[in-house]
Amino acid sequence: MSELRFESVSVHYGHRRTGHLAVDDVSLTVPSGKVVGLVGESGSGKSTLASTAVGLVDATSGTISLDGVDVRRLRRRDRGLQMVFQDPYSSLDPRMSIGESIAEAMPRGTDRRAEVARLLELVHLDPDRATALPARLSGGQRQRVALARALAGRPEVVIADEITSALDVSVQGAVLNLVRDLQRRLGLSMLFISHDLAVVRYVSDRIAVMRGGRIVEEGEADQVLARPRHDYTRELLEAY
Amino acid sequence: MRRWLAVARTPVGAASAVLLLLLAGLALFAPLLWGEQAGAIDTDALQQGSSAAHPLGTDALGRDILHRVLVATRLTIGLALLATVVGVGTGVVLGALPAVLPRWAGRVVTAAVNIAVAFPGLLLALFFAVVFGTGTTGAVLAIAFALAPSFARLTQTLTASVSGRSYIAAARVSGVGRFRVLVRHVLPNVAEPLVINATLAAGSALTAFAGLSFLGIGVQAPSYDWGRLLGEGLNRIYVSPAPALGPAVAVVVAGLAFNLFGEAAAAVLGHRPPPVRRGRPAPAPSTVDDVADEGVLTVRNLRVSFPGPDGWVTPVRGVSFAVREAEVVGVVGESGSGKSLTALAVSRLVEHPGVVTADRLEFLGKPVEGTPDRELGTSLAMVFQDPMTSFNPTRRIGSQLAEVSEQHQGMSRKDAWQRAADRLESVRVPGQRAKQYPHEFSGGMRQRAMIAMGLMGDPRLVIADEPTTALDVTVQREVLRLLGRIRDERSTAVLLISHDISVVQRTCDRVLVMYAGRIVEELPTAELFTAARHPYTTALLAAVPTLETDRDQPLAVIPGRPPEPAEVVAGCPFAPRCPLADDRCRAEEPVLTAVEAGHRVSCWRVEEQQRSALAESAGSRGGTT
Amino acid sequence: MTTATTSTASSGTSWLPFARRRAVRFATSLWALVTAAFLMIHLIPGDPVREALGLTAQPDVVAARREALGLDDPLLVQYWNYLGDLVRGDFGVSLVSGTPVADLIGDRLPATVQLAVLAFLVVVVVAVPVGVGMAVLTKGGRRRGGELGFTSVSVVVAAIPEFLLAVALVSLFAVTLGWFPVAGNDAAGSWVLPVLALALGPAAVLARMVRVELLSVLGNDFVRTARAKRLPARLVYLRHALPNALTATLTLGAMMLAALVAGTVLVENVFAWPGLGSTIVGSIQQKDYPAVQGIVLVYGTGVLLVNLAVDVVLALLDPRSTIREA
Repeated sequence: MSELRFESVSVHYGHRRTGHLAVDDVSLTVPSGKVVGLVGESGSGKSTLASTAVGLVDATSGTISLDGVDVRRLRRRDRGLQMVFQDPYSSLDPRMSIGESIAEAMPRGTDRRAEVARLLELVHLDPDRATALPARLSGGQRQRVALARALAGRPEVVIADEITSALDVSVQGAVLNLVRDLQRRLGLSMLFISHDLAVVRYVSDRIAVMRGGRIVEEGEADQVLARPRHDYTRELLEAY
Repeated sequence: MRRWLAVARTPVGAASAVLLLLLAGLALFAPLLWGEQAGAIDTDALQQGSSAAHPLGTDALGRDILHRVLVATRLTIGLALLATVVGVGTGVVLGALPAVLPRWAGRVVTAAVNIAVAFPGLLLALFFAVVFGTGTTGAVLAIAFALAPSFARLTQTLTASVSGRSYIAAARVSGVGRFRVLVRHVLPNVAEPLVINATLAAGSALTAFAGLSFLGIGVQAPSYDWGRLLGEGLNRIYVSPAPALGPAVAVVVAGLAFNLFGEAAAAVLGHRPPPVRRGRPAPAPSTVDDVADEGVLTVRNLRVSFPGPDGWVTPVRGVSFAVREAEVVGVVGESGSGKSLTALAVSRLVEHPGVVTADRLEFLGKPVEGTPDRELGTSLAMVFQDPMTSFNPTRRIGSQLAEVSEQHQGMSRKDAWQRAADRLESVRVPGQRAKQYPHEFSGGMRQRAMIAMGLMGDPRLVIADEPTTALDVTVQREVLRLLGRIRDERSTAVLLISHDISVVQRTCDRVLVMYAGRIVEELPTAELFTAARHPYTTALLAAVPTLETDRDQPLAVIPGRPPEPAEVVAGCPFAPRCPLADDRCRAEEPVLTAVEAGHRVSCWRVEEQQRSALAESAGSRGGTT
Repeated sequence: MTTATTSTASSGTSWLPFARRRAVRFATSLWALVTAAFLMIHLIPGDPVREALGLTAQPDVVAARREALGLDDPLLVQYWNYLGDLVRGDFGVSLVSGTPVADLIGDRLPATVQLAVLAFLVVVVVAVPVGVGMAVLTKGGRRRGGELGFTSVSVVVAAIPEFLLAVALVSLFAVTLGWFPVAGNDAAGSWVLPVLALALGPAAVLARMVRVELLSVLGNDFVRTARAKRLPARLVYLRHALPNALTATLTLGAMMLAALVAGTVLVENVFAWPGLGSTIVGSIQQKDYPAVQGIVLVYGTGVLLVNLAVDVVLALLDPRSTIREA
């Protein structure tokens, strides 16, 4: 069980004066064992925020901590923080079998073969497919493998960045069900990012709305949806 | 490895592979076989031209040039390969370094490579030839270092494109180190293009070497390679051409062997198998039982086929519908359902090698096929999915709108521009922005400009293919409202294609649901959530989460995935995923049949239910009387 | 067509940074080039003067020459002097002839520039229409035979190095047929073979590149938009597709053009063309380092200018290119 906390995080891209502020003084907490949904339009800074947590992007200011410890002081492998990405077609190395991809993230000293089989079963894939190359899998299956790879690192916090937006609607449901199921069974803390409010609503306990690099509203999912306080949230809701 | 064998099976690949093997054979054995003859001085036969004894003549010491050319293969090829290996190796290291070095050091390396790469190889080679001194070692190093910058650049570009992929990010998040990411993930994925380019580089190293030797700053006497023989022969080319042409041909053939092999490899490894185009796609019987209504657009049994590697593939397989005046008709379906292709086909935009057939395809009562461009250009408007890419980036928005009127309405450039500004105003884009380029517009504004472009004429039908998919939700609404307004003000019909049911539901009067290249259900939008009958439609509606979805229940799921156009088999294409499917569904494809006025379904099970319901009501009615 | 290029400068504030970036890049490259040319002599193992004058030269002659060249000064002082001399247009004195290198270059440069420019014009005039034509004819997998023929011919022609092409042309048209002079640049006819030898290979490469780029541009969404407007095919190709294809081609074309400049070295040697190319080879063989240094500088600067020109043309053609790289 872990709590992920962003404190006054800002990310500035490009030149000091001409660049732009992708994330503007964001504070957000993902409570232990809860799912926080982050909605916003493209360019609102939600993916950048996610990238700072896993160290793919450096925050210009502010801190990100896991159970009170600054993530930069934790070694990546021991952080207990994993991420699943948007595009199922680029999220797996085309030259590695899915088993190898999953095993790569495992802590040292794991029985890799058994663990790969266990994880594949966990995401409802046949363990015999561990030797298959990603090219043989459909988009939905690839996202399950990506989930399995994230779980291989024994994370306590998972960040899911638009993981269903590249999938067809008839496939999306299965992945969402799986995410919810895994989150509950493993007691994961999760930051679930999507531009689709209905998808976010379905998986999240809390909802944060992001716009122009800022979080404009954050609260219990039901409250945000039933009694939105910010105009932008209302506008988003009206679109449905 | 299997893929490389496939290269050798293409005609060009095979020919060049044979040539390369021949060269390798010569390089290995020629010095052993003919080394003596090549060095034999014959003072009776100095500087001879071509003769039976000496097909390529003799040199200043009477040595046979043919033998010398053959023997020189080893040195020529050997040096070229050596230079390539050193050059490519240096280049790859330089190109990969920025990925592992600290950021500032990486920048320095990149900047140095960027400067060096601007200079042509020959110039670099001359420079290094001066530094290393004339001679074999100098030339090898010169050519190697001349190759290195372009390989460094290539490695950088390839590495950068691979590094942007999420599996690299995923590996880094998992704690895989930079060096290990480079070795495990990056290099294996860039190896193939690097090898191909190294083959091409070997060809150019060979000719470059010949060039240096020819200039007298490569191989020095008494050693000799083709370039040196060529240089010696050239001095007396006016007397006898053979001594120069012999080594020249050798250089060209060897260079070509490397180049062609590289090209063949690039073609085979870089592309999918070429489509096979035999005859014409098979015609098919109509798939609707009733000759339904007509309208602005009338489509009957529309089919679109493309040649694939195993014969014709038909992603649109017999689609029939009509769009009436002032009506907004939505087409929903997942990717691969054929909805976008249907839109392109009805607007005559499917290009060779695609083949469009239809029993009827009429716009404003006339076959689309024969309608003049002028008429289609002014009365049929198209809006495409991605407003970022649908405008020509090198031309001003205004001129892209104006050319419609210049072309089809005979307007002067000035009048057309005026009209363009006016149309932009009508979609709430300030008229003076006509001067701007597409990249200066926001996404939503570009999509409105695209609609304005359709309004340059007097459109009777707007075909909008996923017009809001690339836009943010809040922007989506204004684009949809704009389409609605055009319909209201001008009685224009709209065909709206979308994968998003909620978009269709909010905007359209009628919905066509497509699956695997067919319409499986057609019904009024108002009945979508209440009266949809096809199992696919109902499953799709259940699978999409809405703001009312019960969060305590798992989402409804459709097992499996939609079929690819090439794998459509007998029976109902939805049968493998359908909970209701029976043997008939798997054997025989259903026909789109009316179940009520304005409601058509293509499903055996629905038809059966319908029939039994009718029988039941008839029976119960019979009972009461 | 005119509206697209007339007032590009008005359409954005990105021109100033663009010009600044280009100026910085040009200056950096020029500095790297000058430094490389300077270091060239110092990288040569042993004593360059001894190398140049030969082993038989008297030690006091060598010492005097070293003194005259300033080779005994500290490296940084030499570097500073070298830069100062360059700024004054002083390229040093030839070790062999004793004449100023600047004069040598002034004598020889025009012939080389004329040759390169003419060859480049031939390349563009031949390659762009051929490439466009082939793209139109072979679009959508049509005329596979024609495509194969074109590709094979262009690969073969491109694979023949210019100096071999020169040799072949000489032996056929000058020696056997006697249509054109074998060497020199005195008569009008003497231009034909060197220009052909230089232009054919790059023309083949460029034609192929134009075809491939145009075909890939034809797959773009905005071309579909142009077709949806029912514009005549001529306008779709020339107004919408070609400018976009050329922007992509130009970047690669710049390298090719630079290679063409270098290719003059070999071709000039085949035809005994009185340009810089035949001079530099002689100078390298005679170890006349100041001359080599000067000529390398001239070639290098020429290449940099070509790249700069291409960047500017690119920016004019495609308004985005000035901001895209930022």
